[in-house]
Amino acid sequence: MDMLLAKAIVLGASAVGAGLAMFAGIGPGIGQGFAAGKACEAVGRQPEAKGDITSTMLFGCAVAESTGIYSLVIAIILLFANPLVGLLG
Amino acid sequence: MDEFLSFVTIDVWTMIMTWGNLLILFLLMKKFLFGPVKKIMDERQKEIENNLTDAENAKTDAEGLKAEYEEKLKSAKIEADSILTAASRNALLKEEAILKEANEKAADILDKAEKQIAMEKKAALEGIKGEMSEIATSIAAKIIEKDINEKDHEELIEKFIDEIGDAS
Amino acid sequence: MNGPRIIFKIPLFGGIPVTETVVNCWIVMAVIIGVSIWLGSNLKIKPTTKRQLVAEKLVSMLYNLVEGVMGKKFIWFAPYIGALFSMSIFGSLSSLFGLRPYTADLSTTLSWAVLTSVMVWVFSIRESGFFGWLKGFAEPVPFILPINIIGEIANPISMSFRHFGNIAAGMVITNLVYGGLANLSKFVLGFIPNTFLNSIPIFQLGIPALLSIYFDLFGSFLQAYIICMLTMVNISNTSAD
Repeated sequence: MDMLLAKAIVLGASAVGAGLAMFAGIGPGIGQGFAAGKACEAVGRQPEAKGDITSTMLFGCAVAESTGIYSLVIAIILLFANPLVGLLG
Repeated sequence: MDEFLSFVTIDVWTMIMTWGNLLILFLLMKKFLFGPVKKIMDERQKEIENNLTDAENAKTDAEGLKAEYEEKLKSAKIEADSILTAASRNALLKEEAILKEANEKAADILDKAEKQIAMEKKAALEGIKGEMSEIATSIAAKIIEKDINEKDHEELIEKFIDEIGDAS
Repeated sequence: MNGPRIIFKIPLFGGIPVTETVVNCWIVMAVIIGVSIWLGSNLKIKPTTKRQLVAEKLVSMLYNLVEGVMGKKFIWFAPYIGALFSMSIFGSLSSLFGLRPYTADLSTTLSWAVLTSVMVWVFSIRESGFFGWLKGFAEPVPFILPINIIGEIANPISMSFRHFGNIAAGMVITNLVYGGLANLSKFVLGFIPNTFLNSIPIFQLGIPALLSIYFDLFGSFLQAYIICMLTMVNISNTSAD
């Protein structure tokens, strides 16, 4: 009974934690939107450089995405490969 | 029963095998793809550069030859002009000389011809004189019917012809 | 959601597990080596076949990229970048063929990132000596020393997690979508009494293909490109010019 309660609490808390972790998805959203806006401005200023600007923007977006991916990894670990349940013993 | 590793885990043996795989792939790709292709691209670059330098050399050679030939052509033209002027001058001189000679010869011939005509006229007159003396002698002999002294006759007739000759 | 399956165990050192990751890596390596042998055979100075044009185009694109980012000094680095790029992109693309992509395993990406970090340390030690490198951590202000150390360690961690996270998250989402569509098909076709027709997952046809355009094609290429660019930029930053 105790074990069941403990396990239930741990699993429930993990689910809540996974949901809260995805709040970090705001950061890349704002940052990449900003970068895309700046890129559009730059293309408007010099349309010939569109290829270079696009690839540079994509590169910057993918690097900025990393923190969002870290939070996604934490959420996936908590949901699918929960180490905390195993620690219960 | 299949065994699974955890979803997010750091497995050292997998890491070591991945390093080995990367090393093997790097060596094999370098040997089979990057090595030969880079070699062919470098060879082609070198051949193009060789062709370019050859073309440059040929071009400078050709320009040098062209300048030389133009020089030669110019001097040849000058020479030709001078030859022509000299030749025409020579021709003019020769023409005058020939003309003069021809005129002299013509005058010469005319002189000779006139002299010859005078001589032949004289000879013809002499002949006519002789014939006339013979005809006159025979006519006089027939008219006189006497034997005449040939020598007196001839003196008379000569005098007569001389008078005629002077008058004619 | 499971990790990679263990296919067999080499009976040395108490059982070295050879997982699906390593076996898929061998399969993809065989394909890459076959393609590169085919591309690099029978080369002539005046190209006659289209195969030689494709090979030359790929190699010259790679060399131009490396020269553009690292400068002429590191042009000998290009074959390593080529091997890393093709390993990364073909590994992630192998999910299109039903294999579990080996880049969705943290060990693989971590090994690449650790190799890059070790190369950066070796080059900077060669550039400024061992103590010069250690002293470089305390610049510009000695107060900044722990932050520099953490930044140095965070570099390989972030590089590996970025690549792993993108590909693994794509794999998880695709599996969830497949499962969801199977359930949807079972729900919709549930009223047909035939048990064979009941369980055809009819909705699994087509919709996951649209998802895989982003997760498989775009994501693979972008992550491979990023890991190569970060490697090149980090290594070219070690030498001052």
